[in-house]
Amino acid sequence: MASQILPLELIDRCIGSRIWVIMKGDREFTGTLLGFDDFVNMVLEDVIEYEITPEGRKSNKLAQTLLNGNNICMLIPGSSGPEDS
Amino acid sequence: MDPSSSGIQEPFDLIRLSLSERVFVKLRGDREMTGILHAYDGHMNLILSDVEETIMIVDENTAGGQGAVSVAKRKMDMLFVRGDGVILVSPPSRT
Amino acid sequence: MDDSPPAPPAEQTPPPPPVAHSGSPTDFLKGVVGKRVIVRLNSGVDYRGVLSCLDGYMNIALEQTEEHVNGNVTNRYGDAFIRGNNVLYISADEAL
Repeated sequence: MASQILPLELIDRCIGSRIWVIMKGDREFTGTLLGFDDFVNMVLEDVIEYEITPEGRKSNKLAQTLLNGNNICMLIPGSSGPEDS
Repeated sequence: MDPSSSGIQEPFDLIRLSLSERVFVKLRGDREMTGILHAYDGHMNLILSDVEETIMIVDENTAGGQGAVSVAKRKMDMLFVRGDGVILVSPPSRT
Repeated sequence: MDDSPPAPPAEQTPPPPPVAHSGSPTDFLKGVVGKRVIVRLNSGVDYRGVLSCLDGYMNIALEQTEEHVNGNVTNRYGDAFIRGNNVLYISADEAL
C-alpha cells in the first residue's frame, strides 16, 4: 500500500511549531504545540485566544495551556492564525 | 503529598468530604442551588435535601443595558440533580 | 571514628532537568498541580485558583477560587469541584 500519513502523524510533525486551532464555536487559538494525546487534547505555549463576536475579534494572551480536545474542529499546522491571512 | 490539599487526591474527594454538608451547586441554564449533600455518583448525579434554588431571570428587552436581572428562589425538600447539568460544586469552606 | 569532615559536595553534574519534557497533556498537568491556573469553561466563564487535582475526565478541584464573568469577579469559593465536560482549557497563571 502506498505510504499513507495518518492525521495524527501530521499533527505530531507540528510539535514545536505554531499551530492554528479552530473550535466548533466562535473561538480560535494559536500557539506553539508542545504535545497532544489520543483525544487531541493539546498543550500549547505562547497562546493567543481569539473570540469572534459580532463586535469583532477579541484576543487574549495565555501562557502554557491545556486545551480540551472535545470542541476542536480544525487544526492548521504552521499558521499564525487569523492575523496571518 | 501536597499539604495544601489536605487529603484530596482526586477531585471526587472534595465531594466525598462534603457528604452531609451544605454545598453550593452551579448548573447549566443559570441555575444555582444550595442543599445538604446526601449522595453522589461518578456522573455527579446528586441527591440534595433542604434545597434552595436560585434562578436568574434576565430581562432581555431592557433598552441599551445588560438587561435587568431578577432573582427567583424556591425551596425543595429533596432533590435529584442529573449529573450532566452540573458545572460546579463547592463544599462549605474548610477551616 | 567518623570525625572526617563531611564529604565535599560531589562534583557530579546535577540530574538533567526533565529533558525538554515531552510536553504531553499528562506532563503539563503534573507540572501545574499546586500552581495558580485559569480554567475557562465553554460558556466563557473563568475560574482562577490553585489547582489541587484533576482526573481523566478533566474534573477539577480548585482552591481559593475566583469566578470571573467577563472581567468581573462574581463569586469566591474556598474549594470548587468543576465537572470536566464544561472545561475549555486549563492555563498556567504563574511560571511553571
